[in-house]
Amino acid sequence: MSNATQSRSWLETLLQVLAQRPGQPVGQWAAQWAGARDGCWPTRRSEAWRFTDLRCLTQLDPARLHTQTATPPWPDALRQGPSRQVALQLDGRGHWLSPQGEPPSWPHGLMPLPTEDVTPGQVAHTVMPSGTLPLGAQLNGVTPGPSLCLQVSGADPVHLALAIQVEQDQAWLAPRVLLVLQPGARLCLTWHVAATAQAAVLPLVEVRLGTGAQLEEAVVAWGCPGATLLGSSFVHQSPRSVYRRTNVTWGWGLSRDEPFVHQSQGQAETHLYGLAVARDRSLLDTHSTVYFDGPAGQLRQRHQALADGRGHSVFNGRVVVPRVAQQTDASQLSRNLLLSTRARIDTKPQLEIVADDVQCTHGATVSCLQDDELFYLQSRGIGREQASRLLQRGFCEDVLQRLPGTALPWPSLQRLLEIPVPDQP
Amino acid sequence: MTSTEITPLCEAPIQPGDVLLSIENLHACVEENEILRGVSLQIRAGEIHALMGRNGSGKSTLSKVIAGHPAYTVTAGSIHYRGQDLLALSPEDRARSGVFLGFQYPVEIPGVSNLEFLRVSCNARRQHRGQEELDTFAFEDHVRDTMAIVQMDPAFLERSVNEGFSGGEKKRNEVLQMALLKPLVAILDETDSGLDIDALRIVANGVKKLALPTTATLLITHYQRLLDAITPDFVHVMAEGRILRTGDKDLAMALEQRGYDWIDGVDGADTPQP
Repeated sequence: MSNATQSRSWLETLLQVLAQRPGQPVGQWAAQWAGARDGCWPTRRSEAWRFTDLRCLTQLDPARLHTQTATPPWPDALRQGPSRQVALQLDGRGHWLSPQGEPPSWPHGLMPLPTEDVTPGQVAHTVMPSGTLPLGAQLNGVTPGPSLCLQVSGADPVHLALAIQVEQDQAWLAPRVLLVLQPGARLCLTWHVAATAQAAVLPLVEVRLGTGAQLEEAVVAWGCPGATLLGSSFVHQSPRSVYRRTNVTWGWGLSRDEPFVHQSQGQAETHLYGLAVARDRSLLDTHSTVYFDGPAGQLRQRHQALADGRGHSVFNGRVVVPRVAQQTDASQLSRNLLLSTRARIDTKPQLEIVADDVQCTHGATVSCLQDDELFYLQSRGIGREQASRLLQRGFCEDVLQRLPGTALPWPSLQRLLEIPVPDQP
Repeated sequence: MTSTEITPLCEAPIQPGDVLLSIENLHACVEENEILRGVSLQIRAGEIHALMGRNGSGKSTLSKVIAGHPAYTVTAGSIHYRGQDLLALSPEDRARSGVFLGFQYPVEIPGVSNLEFLRVSCNARRQHRGQEELDTFAFEDHVRDTMAIVQMDPAFLERSVNEGFSGGEKKRNEVLQMALLKPLVAILDETDSGLDIDALRIVANGVKKLALPTTATLLITHYQRLLDAITPDFVHVMAEGRILRTGDKDLAMALEQRGYDWIDGVDGADTPQP
């Protein structure tokens, strides 16, 4: 049986299993996708999936899938934070509960959206009116389960910490989060996603930022070789809004992170920072899109990847600047550290610029550890192995230092920095 | 005179006048280009040597070969450090045993905090000398005290190694490292380049404070102004990968006035005696 036939068969079985699950109605695109799924399942012939092998996902057994989660190892600082901080963990029924296992109590400025205002997929379809939703979003949409839909108001910052811990094989988790920030509202959102078993996590995040609203989002996602993370986020920005996202990913057998940002009328700020640490046979893929649909928008994007062993990092940064987006100021940099002859980096800045009065820059670098840097450290008595670790940590710190304080207490970040000595290239 | 550099486990006591570094007929190349063509030099405890010469004469190469830069291959000759074959040691072991190179162009290392870098370096050297490693708190006190030698702002500890430092700040950071590592042989490669008058005075004073009767210093420089602040015992002039002339501080002053052609004997007058 060919790989394509196997994948189709796997998908058919998956859809049958998910259709039999109890729970909330599936997302509005589910039926649409189910009808056209043969065409939507990505193949290596598609440019966007040329480097990304989905075998880690399709090795899951649809017949054995479940939704069990474990209790995250909450740091004390987050478990009992200040009054304007909420910590929530995903339970086995798709609900978000406090670390004590209780329904959340919402602080001033954060409240559930009225049910009639909630339509899962509404932001995604605004951000991508004609495009095909990414695979992770589609699989999320056909998975029954509740959504966490919140409204944020007021200029005093609110902190929301979300954690997902997976420790059992064959877990299939598709959490959905919809955030609506009222004009001028400020939210700091941190995600901690951890998987230590052969499982799949498919988070879907939709955000609508009102005029002058600010969202700082931090994602710390670490997995094991059999785990898959397919993350999709859709962010709709109004003028003068600010969206900062810092994503740190490592350890997954397969990770595909697909943020879509739409500056609906320009005049907004977007900051995207990413760190992917691909070791062993890990495949970490980031496909980002920033669409400027108005003038004077700003983008600062920096993606850093470290590949070692047989690790593989993929980055595709798409920036769309149509004629209406005059005076856009966008910069994008992809920095990559290649530490082994068997590791691989594929990086592609993709700027699509039609407007003629813009300032858009991009760059990509791939290098190994610099001999001069190693020698400098060695000349101070630091052994080559320790020097190599220091340099790798330094490379990671460049992004890690952008994480907000609420993302730092997780012990997993320390594990990321316990960096092994690389193979000699 | 009793040594001030007694380290019970790893370093035997040093007396002023002991030979610390002995270079014999050293030849070295990079990518098959021979740069050093028979350098011989002996440096004793308590001495300050100045090494001068045109650009490309091999001064920096000599310093890097002593420190163990992997880009250079020694094809002949020897370097002995306190009687030990230095060339057999890795760069880190050379540094741990007391050889220090102050870089002409200190390397910027984004993301690595200066404080952590200094602490790890200092502890590597202390461990070699049989001293207890300093924990984070003890080291921070120690480094803040030491920074006074080069009048450096403690804010530089929080920054990445040399990243965004001005030329003068980088050179002060080099001398700070020297002060923390307490080397027995310090080689300072154009430490005076890129410094304004005040910064030069601060750096020169720092180097002078660190020069002890039991340590040796090799200053690589183009200019007399550094030697006005630090009086060398010997001045060597390099050309085409060799030391052509050796003299005292007067040789440097003569060079300043007459240029390197004089050493080559091109103008045919007053060629100094070896």
